[in-house]
Amino acid sequence: MKVNKGTSLPFYRPLNPAHIEKIDGAARWILEHIGIKIHDRHFLELMDQGGATVDSATSTVRFSAERLDKALAEAPRKFILHSRDGLNDIRLGEDRVYFTNGGRVFRALDVNSGNYRLTTLEDVANTAALVNRLAHINFYIIACQAHDLEPEHYHLNDFYHAFNATSKHVMGGCDSLVGVQQVWDLAALMAGGEQQLKERPFFSVITNPISPLTIESNTLNILGFCCSHGIPATCAPAPICGATAPATLAGALTQMHAEALAGVAIAQIFAPGSKVLYGAVLTAMDLRTMDFTMGSVEMAMMNAAAVQLAKRYDLPIYASAGVTESKRPDVQAGSEKSFSNLMVAMAGGDCVHLAAGMLDSGNSISYEQYVIDNEILGMVQRILAGINVTEETLALSVIQKVGPGGNYVMEDHTIDHMMDEFFYPDLCERHLFDIWVQQGRPNMLSRATAMVENILEAHKDCLDPQLNSRIRSAFPGIKDV
Amino acid sequence: MAEFNALTESVIKGDIKSAVAETQKALETGQDIQSIIDDGLIRAMDDVGERFSKGQIFVPQMLRSAKTMQECMKLIQPHFKEGDVKAKGKVVIGTVKGDLHDIGKNLVSMMLEGAGFTIIDLGVDVNPEAFVEKVKETEADIMGMSALLSTTMPAMRHTIDALKEAGIRDQVKVMIGGAPVTDDFAREIKADAYAPDAGSAVIQTKKLLGLS
Repeated sequence: MKVNKGTSLPFYRPLNPAHIEKIDGAARWILEHIGIKIHDRHFLELMDQGGATVDSATSTVRFSAERLDKALAEAPRKFILHSRDGLNDIRLGEDRVYFTNGGRVFRALDVNSGNYRLTTLEDVANTAALVNRLAHINFYIIACQAHDLEPEHYHLNDFYHAFNATSKHVMGGCDSLVGVQQVWDLAALMAGGEQQLKERPFFSVITNPISPLTIESNTLNILGFCCSHGIPATCAPAPICGATAPATLAGALTQMHAEALAGVAIAQIFAPGSKVLYGAVLTAMDLRTMDFTMGSVEMAMMNAAAVQLAKRYDLPIYASAGVTESKRPDVQAGSEKSFSNLMVAMAGGDCVHLAAGMLDSGNSISYEQYVIDNEILGMVQRILAGINVTEETLALSVIQKVGPGGNYVMEDHTIDHMMDEFFYPDLCERHLFDIWVQQGRPNMLSRATAMVENILEAHKDCLDPQLNSRIRSAFPGIKDV
Repeated sequence: MAEFNALTESVIKGDIKSAVAETQKALETGQDIQSIIDDGLIRAMDDVGERFSKGQIFVPQMLRSAKTMQECMKLIQPHFKEGDVKAKGKVVIGTVKGDLHDIGKNLVSMMLEGAGFTIIDLGVDVNPEAFVEKVKETEADIMGMSALLSTTMPAMRHTIDALKEAGIRDQVKVMIGGAPVTDDFAREIKADAYAPDAGSAVIQTKKLLGLS
């Protein structure tokens, strides 16, 4: 079906309004009385000048209720993560749900051998090419580390190859100020100037505080650069319930909410009106073994609750779902991914990241999993689109026309609505047993393998050749894949 | 070669009204009948078949185009000389005695009808004698039986036995289907064909009648 991209009917709410107020109140208390640790005198001074309460003895920044509310009021409720072709713009804060993949893994699954290999720059280009084609993955996050690159031109290369493989919006984590500067320069050349880029930023940056309640100076350097240059960003806390956050879901949510609000507030102190997403990446430990779990059902619940907390302030959220501990695209992967993607989407998360491509607790990607997750996300988007009830869809006139004992197969009404009413999966098995046997017993994974091959074979570079040659001469640090 | 683009387009769209009007126009202006069929209707259906196999159109659209072609053929048929037109085939169909599940049988009927066959649908819970009587009466080419329950599958064998007893087993081809039915079972009870789904039923029917 033609899924309405980003249509949302948020109806899963794990927290009731009183719970939201309790958690929010506790988080505000944390920001007022405990504060965020920043080990950097320059940034402490900046926060002090910006009206936050700085305690230099403990290197913490605290926010009075008044200062916090002022900062949060300055944060935009709506903004757009632009696509380069204008066809896949991500309209944040408009009650729409978008999905994207997860980033910065270090290895990829080879489905044939079942083994993992280290990721390379080519994997960035290939995963971006997959996302470019997959309708339900609405924008691209730099998927993995390129182990074949020297660090000095790292982000220049991974963003360049992402831009060349997809015209959808590209988001990515950046490790250094130099890195984000390189990406800015590259994007400005592509946009035809810095002003043009500021007006329609087609890339954005992910940063993370360190839970509990700490932000590194390098993170602030990068976030500060984004805010002063009009690059949309998030400073997304990733507390682990039972390790870097309390073992209670409410406690982890409270700490995460404080960290996320601090990220938004600090961005506004850097530059009022900065396009910043409230970020939330909640996970948990399996305390039986201290194994990290991203695919737990509690992860799904907490990340859905995080959407409610962001919406308490009408802030667009960089939410998380769709992760699994499974090492292969299998039953566990399918069920864990479906649970959390559906729950966070039904809570109304503006952009749900980690939603596609990942396995192995976010350590690994699988090309096949991108295609499989795209299908899961298509079904989630179909669910969000809801049941359309109008005079036309009630179908009374065709029910009367067909009458008792007839059928609807060849009716105009059927043909008029069959494209819009149904999600037609590409990978799911729908034939009868005998036909399935005749076809060689295909399954989601075998179909996904074939689809990956088709997409990558048919893929064409997105950058115009003339522009590309200008980029390549301006940035000799770019390598081919 | 005569041009029948408007006719072809109408059949592809499944627009019965305008296809019939175009056929009427072609007949009135004295176009060659064989050419109307070959360059108008069959060309359209070839195109429809290709679009369907590429997934560009769905079953309802394909069936509608087939029905459109049939309606056009009804207008053309009176213009044929005796013996030119061979009816495509008559199919007597029903669910066997004791079985009230008719969704699969109905889908098969719809697809066969769409493909141009004449369907005589006996409905559900059809006893062997009723099948035999209708096959005799209509001189059907195919008898189709459906069963959803494994407990009603033996009735397929009994119905075939009844055809034998009536001495008409050689005059009709027997096709069976239904969720528990298998190719092996079809061979065991000496049915002529087994179709796992509605699309296969059309293919099997054509094969049985030497049409493909």
